Amino acid sequence: MWCLSNPAQRRYLVRMISAAFFCLVFSLAAVMGIRHGHVSGLPSYFLAVLPAVPVAWTLVITGAYLSEEKDEFQRNLYIQAILCAVAATLAVVTAWGYMEDFGRAPHLRLAWVYPMFWIFVAVAMPLVQRRYR
Amino acid sequence: MKNRLRVLRAERAWSQADLAKALEVSRQSVNAIETGKFDPSLPLAFKLARLFGLRIEEIFTDEG
Repeated sequence: MWCLSNPAQRRYLVRMISAAFFCLVFSLAAVMGIRHGHVSGLPSYFLAVLPAVPVAWTLVITGAYLSEEKDEFQRNLYIQAILCAVAATLAVVTAWGYMEDFGRAPHLRLAWVYPMFWIFVAVAMPLVQRRYR
Repeated sequence: MKNRLRVLRAERAWSQADLAKALEVSRQSVNAIETGKFDPSLPLAFKLARLFGLRIEEIFTDEG
């Protein structure tokens, strides 16, 4: 359970919120710049990759949290939730890929894979916690 | 791994929250260790032993 009195968890939340803010800002910049045709050529590639920077940064933040968390049980819970989310994301994306290839499933934009992963983390966390009650 | 944590804690009239504070872990951690659902690492087991003034094997017993 997330607790703001835990310094590692507090730092993690603040860092994740900052990264999410930058991800949102960069995504909006990419949409405004590229989709509305203000930017083209090489700068458009730079703008397109920009939202991926805070996305990659959240993985660094997660790694930092795992090394800063002194409560080994909480660390263990979070690792289990992340592993569950990785498994669920890979399973869904793989299944969806086959459905796209061999069925009539609509195309899944790769940009949705990352939010999907965090949704699975959010779903997995209370389920993992329940095992220890 | 079985342990006598609940008994030792009750003898000292400590709540799970008291023990968690002394160990610098969450109350959920203490509960998970007490119920035998989570085995602590060696450093945490030593910390527990020091706190109760006992040896590790006086708190934890191997089921095997």
